[in-house]
Amino acid sequence: MEIVTANELISGATVYFLTEGCWGADIDRARVFQSEENAERDRVIKRANASGFLISVERETVRVAKGRVLANRLRERIRAEGPTAPRHRPQKPDIHNAVEFSHVSL
Amino acid sequence: MYRYDQFDAEFVAGRVAQFTDQVERRISGELSEDQFRPLRLMNGLYLQLHAYMLRVAVPYGTMNSTQLRKLAHIARTYDRGYGHFTTRQNIQFNWPRLDDVPQILSELASVEMHAIQTSGNCIRNVTTDQFAGAAADEIIDPRPVAEIIRQWSSLHPEFSFLPRKFKIAITGAPNDRAAIKFHDIGLMAQQDEQGKVGWAVYVGGGMGRTPMVAKEISPFVPHSDLLAYLESILRVYNRYGRRDNKYKARIKILVHEEGLATLREQVESEFLQVRGGVLNLPDDELSRIKAYFAPPAFKDSDARFDLAALKVSDPEFARFVLHNTNQHAQAGYTSITISLKPVGGVPGDATDAQMEVVADLAQRFSFDELRVSHEQNLVLPHVAIDDVRAVYEALNGAGLGEANVGQITDMIVCPGLDYCALANARSIPVAQEISRRFGSARRQEEIGDLKIKISGCINACGHHHAGHIGILGVEKRGTELYQITVGGNAGENAAIGNILGRGIVAEEVPDAIEQLVEIYLKARSGAEENFLGTLKRVGEAPFREALYGND
Ligand code: SF4
Repeated sequence: MEIVTANELISGATVYFLTEGCWGADIDRARVFQSEENAERDRVIKRANASGFLISVERETVRVAKGRVLANRLRERIRAEGPTAPRHRPQKPDIHNAVEFSHVSL
Repeated sequence: MYRYDQFDAEFVAGRVAQFTDQVERRISGELSEDQFRPLRLMNGLYLQLHAYMLRVAVPYGTMNSTQLRKLAHIARTYDRGYGHFTTRQNIQFNWPRLDDVPQILSELASVEMHAIQTSGNCIRNVTTDQFAGAAADEIIDPRPVAEIIRQWSSLHPEFSFLPRKFKIAITGAPNDRAAIKFHDIGLMAQQDEQGKVGWAVYVGGGMGRTPMVAKEISPFVPHSDLLAYLESILRVYNRYGRRDNKYKARIKILVHEEGLATLREQVESEFLQVRGGVLNLPDDELSRIKAYFAPPAFKDSDARFDLAALKVSDPEFARFVLHNTNQHAQAGYTSITISLKPVGGVPGDATDAQMEVVADLAQRFSFDELRVSHEQNLVLPHVAIDDVRAVYEALNGAGLGEANVGQITDMIVCPGLDYCALANARSIPVAQEISRRFGSARRQEEIGDLKIKISGCINACGHHHAGHIGILGVEKRGTELYQITVGGNAGENAAIGNILGRGIVAEEVPDAIEQLVEIYLKARSGAEENFLGTLKRVGEAPFREALYGND
C-alpha cells in the first residue's frame, strides 16, 4: 500500500494526496493506493509534478491500522508529525493551493 | 572586523534583487522547480523534511552585535524563534517560507550578511579558530588572510562549478581548534628561521563516507604567494577531480588515487605559471585588510583569576572560569565560550531571546565582537577578567551559563533525521539522552575532557569520525542503529576513529557510552591522562569487549 506525498512550494510543508482528491497535511486522510491502483497513483504523481506548487513528490509505503495511516519508514513518520526532539508541530501548508488543485479532476 | 566596501554592498544587494525576481518567477510558474532548484541552492536555500532551510554564512565565524540581533530578529519574525549554529560556523533557519526568503536576504544584506556559497560545488565559507585575534598561543591573527580568501573565492568565475564542494580552514595557532586537517585545504601558520610568517598547507582532508586526514603539500607558503598557491591547487582539482562519481569527486579522492607526490608536482607546475601575477598579495593590501582586524582598545590590567580561591568561595563560577574561558594574548583579558549545550538541550540551538542577550553582552563587554565556533558554541573573544562574573551572571539568567566546554556534554551534533532529508537516523534525541546521563557537574569533572560527536548519516556533518567517541546513525530494515567509534581527533594530531562493532539501538547508546567511560576511568593512569591517551596506551580491545564481550 502506498501514499503520495510532497512538499508544498511556498511553505515547504509536508503534504499528502488525500482521499478527497486534493492535497493536505493530514496523513490519516491520505489516499491509500493498493497495488492494483498503480496506474492511478502514477497519474497523481505526474499531475503533482506538473502542478507547479508541489515539489519533491514521492510515494511511500504505508499500513493502515485503526483508521490511521502509518508510514513504514521512520523518516516518513517524522515528516508527518514534525521533529521529535524537541517536538515541533509540522509546517502549515498554503491550503488555497491545495484547494485549487482539488478542482482538477483525475 | 571587515566592513563591506562599495563593491561588496552593491554585489550583495544585486544578488538579493536577482533572487527576489527568481522567487517571483518560481511562484508565478514561469520557472519550473528544475530550473529554480540550482538558483535557490546558490542562495543557501535547501528543502529539508518539513520545510525549507536557509543557511546563512558567518564569514570565518565572526559577527558583531548588530548582526546577531538581526539573526535574532529573523528567527523571531520569519522562523520559529530559534536558529541552529553549525560546524561550518554558519547558522541555519529551519522553517522559512519561500515567499519570505527575499525579505530575509534583504534584511541580512542590511547588516552585511548573505547566504551565498553556503551550498553548491563551490568554495564554501572559510572557517577558522574561534579565538582568532585573541588567543595567547597564536602566531598570527588568521582573519585578514581568511577575509582575503573570502574575497578571492566569492563567485570566483573559474571555481563556481567545481567537481564538488570545497572547504578551507585556517588557523594562526599551533593548537588546532579549527579541525583544519579535515578540510579540503587546511592552512596552519608557521614561522621560518628568520621569524617570517607563512602557511603550512594541508590538502585532501575530509569526513563523509571516505574520511581522510589532510596531508602536507607544502610546509611553508609565504603570505604574498598564498592566493597563487591556493589557485594552483584549485586549478589542478578543477581539472582532474572526478566528475563521473559524486562520491569520488572531493579532492581527498584525487590525493588518494593520484598520490600526494603527483598532486604536488601538478600544483607546483601550475604555481610557476601563476606566481607573481595578479594574485600576488602585496604588503600594502594585506595591511589594508589587517586594519579592519586591529586589536580593540584594551585597557592596561593585571587582573587574573585566582582559581584556587574561587573553587572554595564559588565553585560553580570557578567551574565556568576553568572550562569556558580561554587564555587571551592581552593581560587582564580572556575569551569566554558560551556553551550552546545545556544539559538535555539541542546542541547548537539558540533562541532569539538568547541571541539578543549574547549580542548585548558582546556590545557591553567584548568590543562588539562575537564568534561562532565549529563546535557549535558562541564566543565573546575579548572580555576583561574583571567583567567575567557579570557576563557569567547574565548568561546564567538566559540559560546559557552551562560550564561544560570541552566536556562530555559539549557534543557536536548534526540535525539528523529530525530535520535533514539525507539522514538515516536521529542525532538530537541521542545527544539529549547522553547529556542527561552525564549532566552532573561532578561526573563531568571526574571524566575530564572528552569529545563526543554525532552524525545522523555517513555525510558526517556531526564530525563523528573526529570524536574521541563518535556516534554514527545508520538504518537497517527500518530501525535506527548507531555505530560507535573511538580514537578520532580533530586537533593538530588529527585522527579518524575506528568502529568498535555492530550498530546498537538508540536506547542502548547512553549505556554503551557509560561503559566506555567506565573502562577509561578504570584504565587511565591518572586524571591527567585523557581518553585518547588511555586508548592509545591500552588499545581498543577493552573498549570493544565492554560493548560486545568476546563476539
Ligand atoms: S550528517 Fe547526514 S543527517 Fe547529519 S546533517 Fe549531515 S547529511 Fe544530514
